[in-house]
Amino acid sequence: MSALLEQLTRRQLLWHGNSQQAAYQAVTSGYAELDKQLAGGLPANGLIEIQTEQGIGELRLLLPYLQQQHLDGRLLVMISPPADPCADMLAGAGINLAQLLVISVKNNKEALWAAEQCLQSGCVAAVLMWQVLLRLAQARRLQLAAEQGNASLILLRRPQAALSLPVNLSLTLAAHPYGVLLNVNKRKGGWPAGPFLVDMQSRWPALSYRYDGLKQAQRKAG
Amino acid sequence: MALYLYLQFPALQLDNVSIAATSALPLAVVDEQHRIIQLDSLCAERGIKFGMTLGSAAALCHNLQLIPYQHTRQLELLAAVAQQLYQLSPDIALDPPDGLYLRLCQILRLYQGLDGYWQRIQTVLSAMPYRYFYATGNTPLAAKCLARQQLNLISSDGEALLAQLQRSPLRFTDLSPDIQQQLQRLGLQQLGQVMALSQAELARRFEHGLLSYLGRLRGEFYHALDYIQPQQGFSSTLELLYDISDTAVLTTPLKLLLQQLEQQLKRADALCHQLLLEIRFRTQKALTVIISSVQGEYRAAQWLRLCQLKLETVRLTEPASGIKLDVPRFAPQRPDSNTLFQPVQGAMSALQLTSVLQARLGRAAVSGLSLQNQHLPEQASGRPLPFSTVNNEVPALAVRPAFLFQSAIALTEQVELNSGPERFCINRWQPQLQRDYFIGRNRQGQWLWLYRTAELRWFVQGMFS
Repeated sequence: MSALLEQLTRRQLLWHGNSQQAAYQAVTSGYAELDKQLAGGLPANGLIEIQTEQGIGELRLLLPYLQQQHLDGRLLVMISPPADPCADMLAGAGINLAQLLVISVKNNKEALWAAEQCLQSGCVAAVLMWQVLLRLAQARRLQLAAEQGNASLILLRRPQAALSLPVNLSLTLAAHPYGVLLNVNKRKGGWPAGPFLVDMQSRWPALSYRYDGLKQAQRKAG
Repeated sequence: MALYLYLQFPALQLDNVSIAATSALPLAVVDEQHRIIQLDSLCAERGIKFGMTLGSAAALCHNLQLIPYQHTRQLELLAAVAQQLYQLSPDIALDPPDGLYLRLCQILRLYQGLDGYWQRIQTVLSAMPYRYFYATGNTPLAAKCLARQQLNLISSDGEALLAQLQRSPLRFTDLSPDIQQQLQRLGLQQLGQVMALSQAELARRFEHGLLSYLGRLRGEFYHALDYIQPQQGFSSTLELLYDISDTAVLTTPLKLLLQQLEQQLKRADALCHQLLLEIRFRTQKALTVIISSVQGEYRAAQWLRLCQLKLETVRLTEPASGIKLDVPRFAPQRPDSNTLFQPVQGAMSALQLTSVLQARLGRAAVSGLSLQNQHLPEQASGRPLPFSTVNNEVPALAVRPAFLFQSAIALTEQVELNSGPERFCINRWQPQLQRDYFIGRNRQGQWLWLYRTAELRWFVQGMFS
C-alpha cells in the first residue's frame, strides 16, 4: 500500500491537503492582506484573470505588482485599454514610461495575436488586456506562450458566468468605499478564499471614502 | 605580365527567370528577329540550337516557352553580377550584353596565386543561378576570344595561352563579318595565321579595324576599360514566370531576393532599417510596400517574417508579374552591448518585437507613453513612437485618473464628491474656460474625475481605475 502511495506521490498524482507551497513563483502584490491570502503574492508568470467592473480600483491593485515586474528592464504592454492611459498617474505610481507599450487593435483576433507575440518574445514582463473574448484553447495557448517568455498576462473582464479558464489565478473584485472587496475564485495549488477587503486608504487617501466628505456629499451633483 | 579573366554568361535573362520556375518546361529567349539567343538545357536536349529561327525551334519542340529579349533587363542583371564580384576583385569592366572583364594583375597576391583567386570567384558564381564560361588571357581581348570558345581555361602560362589563341577560329574574334569574310577568302582560318602576317601588308590590304584589333589582342595598343564603381544600397528585380495572385505564394520568390540582400549586407558588415518592395502588375501601376524594422536587421529569415506579416495586410487587385526589392541605404552594424552572463529569455529584443507588431497592426497602432510638461489633462500625456526619449525632468502630478476619455462626457448620474475642487484656468483673460475638478464616486462604486464649468455644467473627464 505504501509503495503504491509513494509511486503516486512521485508521479505527482497525489495531492496533500496540508501542503500549501505555491504552485508558481510569487511576486508580492504590495498589499499585506492579499499576500497573506495568496500565500506570497501574485504569480510571476502565466495567466491572471480579474473579473471586475471598470474604475473601482482594479489597476491600483495591480500597480505595485507591475512595478515589481518591470524592474528588470523588461516591458509592460497594454492591449486595447478602455480609454487613453494617463502618463501622470502611471509615472506617479513608479512605472517607467520608457518601458511601456500601448497597443490599439481593431478586433479580438488581433488582440490575441499581439498578446501571444508579446508573451513569447521574452522581453515583456507583463501584458494587460482588457475585455477580450477567450476560448479554452486560446487561453491554453496564451498560458504556454507566457511560460515560454516568463511573462504574465492579466485579463481584465466584466464578471461573467462563463466556463473557468486554465489560469494561474482568478479574482473577482467588487467596489468598496475603502478599497476593493476581493474574492479568490481559483488559485493554482491553493484554495479559493472568501471575500475580504484590500484596504487602499493609506496608499490612495484621495480615493477612499471620507467621513468629513459626508458633509460635502450633501452637495450632490447630477 | 598582365593577366585578365573574362567571364561570359550565355543566358542571364533566362537563368534569372528559371530560378522562380516550378515546372520543367523548355524555356528560350528570342530577340526581335525571332532568333533563339538564350536557351536552357531542356531545349538543347530537343535539338534546339543557338541562333535558330523561331519556326524551326517550335517545330522541334511543341511546348517551348518563349521570353522576349529585354536589353535593359540583361544589362541590369550583368551589373548585378559585377557588383557581387566586386567584393572579391576590384577591377571589373562590363562587356555588354553578356561578358565581364576582370583584371588580375595586383589582386592575385592577396589570394596567393591564381588558384586561390579562382576558387573564391567560383564560390560566389556558384551561389548565383547563372551558367558561365571563362578563360584567362594576357590581354582583355585574348581572354574574351578564349572564353567565347567555351574553353574554361585558367592558366597564367603566357606561352600556352598564346598557343591556344593562335589555334582559335576567326569566328570567335570581335572582327566585323566583312573582314572575317575577306580573310577566309584568302584561306586564313585561324587567328595564328593572321597574326603571322606582316603588319605593313595587312595595313595595305585591310581596313583599320583589323590592325587595331590585332594590336589590342597582342597588347601593343592600349585598351581602355571602364572599371565599375561600387553602388550604395541594394536593388534587385525578379520577373515571375507565372502571375501570382496570392501574397502568401509571393514569399517564395521574395525569399530569394532577401537571401541576396543578406549576402550583400553580411559582406558590407551592415544592417538595413527599411525595405521597399515593389510589386509589379501587367496593366496597373506598381504597388510599393514599405517594410521597416526598428532594430535593423540583416538576416533574411527575420526580414521574411516581417514581410509575411506586412503582406498579409496587402490585397492584390491584380496578379503580380514581378517583384523588385530596393534598399536605399545601409546602416552600420552596432555591436551588442548585452552582458555575456545575463540570462536570455527569448530570441527577440524589444525593438524586434515592436517591428513585428508594427508590421501586422500598422505603425500607428503601437505607441509609447510620455509625460509632457503640461497642466491641461488633455495635453499631459503624449503618445510618441515606442522607446523615444522620455523627459524625466517632468514631475508627475499627484492625483490623476488612470484613463482619460478622448472627449469629456456629460454627467448623467448621481455622484458623491470625495475631494476637490482643483481649479484649472487655461488663460487668465478667458474666465469662461475655467474648470473645477473633483473626484467623485458613483452608485456602482466607480471613481470618476469630474469637472464643473463656469456655467455650472458637469462633465466626466476620466476614470480612476
